[in-house]
Amino acid sequence: MSETSLPHEFQYSSAAHQAETAVSGMWLFLATEVLFFGAIFLAWIYCRHWNQAGFDAGAQHTQLAIGTINTVILLTSSLVYSFGVAFIEAGNNRRLIQCCAVVWGLGFSFLILKFGLEYYKDFSDHLFPGPDFSINGALSGGARLFFVFYFVSTALHGIHMIGGLTLVGWVILRARRNEFSAVYYTPVTVVGLYWSFVDIVWIVLYALIYLVGRGP
Amino acid sequence: MNERFRWLLGTWVLLLVLLAAEFGAGFLPLKPAVRPLILIAPVIMVAAVGIMFMQVKRGPAVVRLFAVAGLVWLCILLGLGSLDPMTRTDVYVQSTGIK
Repeated sequence: MSETSLPHEFQYSSAAHQAETAVSGMWLFLATEVLFFGAIFLAWIYCRHWNQAGFDAGAQHTQLAIGTINTVILLTSSLVYSFGVAFIEAGNNRRLIQCCAVVWGLGFSFLILKFGLEYYKDFSDHLFPGPDFSINGALSGGARLFFVFYFVSTALHGIHMIGGLTLVGWVILRARRNEFSAVYYTPVTVVGLYWSFVDIVWIVLYALIYLVGRGP
Repeated sequence: MNERFRWLLGTWVLLLVLLAAEFGAGFLPLKPAVRPLILIAPVIMVAAVGIMFMQVKRGPAVVRLFAVAGLVWLCILLGLGSLDPMTRTDVYVQSTGIK
């Protein structure tokens, strides 16, 4: 069965037209997400510019090892998902399910490391910008601003990760029901775009949080 | 098929190399003002993910339009938003002693 003979909604001229619209729609959504996270990146520029020493002092208290491992995890998950897309384009549904299961596991590992281990360490070290904040003195104000940026940006990214995991799980369920084939796999492509975008956001956040303010 | 897998794997290796370079650059004794140059590596990584994993070159032309539009508006947001902190000059007014 070719793609042109696949069923499609009445407002589209063909199944290919429907697929193109779905992919374009996801790209449009991601363009709005760029601006959503762009405002957070602008906050980083603004706060670091006016509080450079304190901001960098805060960055030096972050868990670089966990952040780096999480970056490798997300880069690998994007690779494995791309393998899954290539497999389903060749009609291999079983390999798609296996790839998505690995991606789900990697994404879940990221969340465990981030919120189960790193956040736990941050709170234990009194780095949440509240009354018990552990960085005192002249750098306290800038360091507090840094950790406000840190907790807000990583929490928002974490929410996006949970959304991504839900979507990858949905792809697995549909793939297990044999709903995808070499001629129909639009949801797999669209979810892959979202997953890679969440990866992109983390690539930028990793540098802003762990590296720029670290120093020798 | 095999060639596509090789390209994807090559992209992943490139990303890891860039990550290692970025990680190393984080420990260089750079002045605070030039430390944001570390962001060059992540920018290349973002481009690599967009081109190879998200396949921005595939699909209809409107996909490229949305991708470019997102980047343009991000540049406007960051450019105009940074203009004030980057160009403002603080002028300290000497106290007159009048209360």
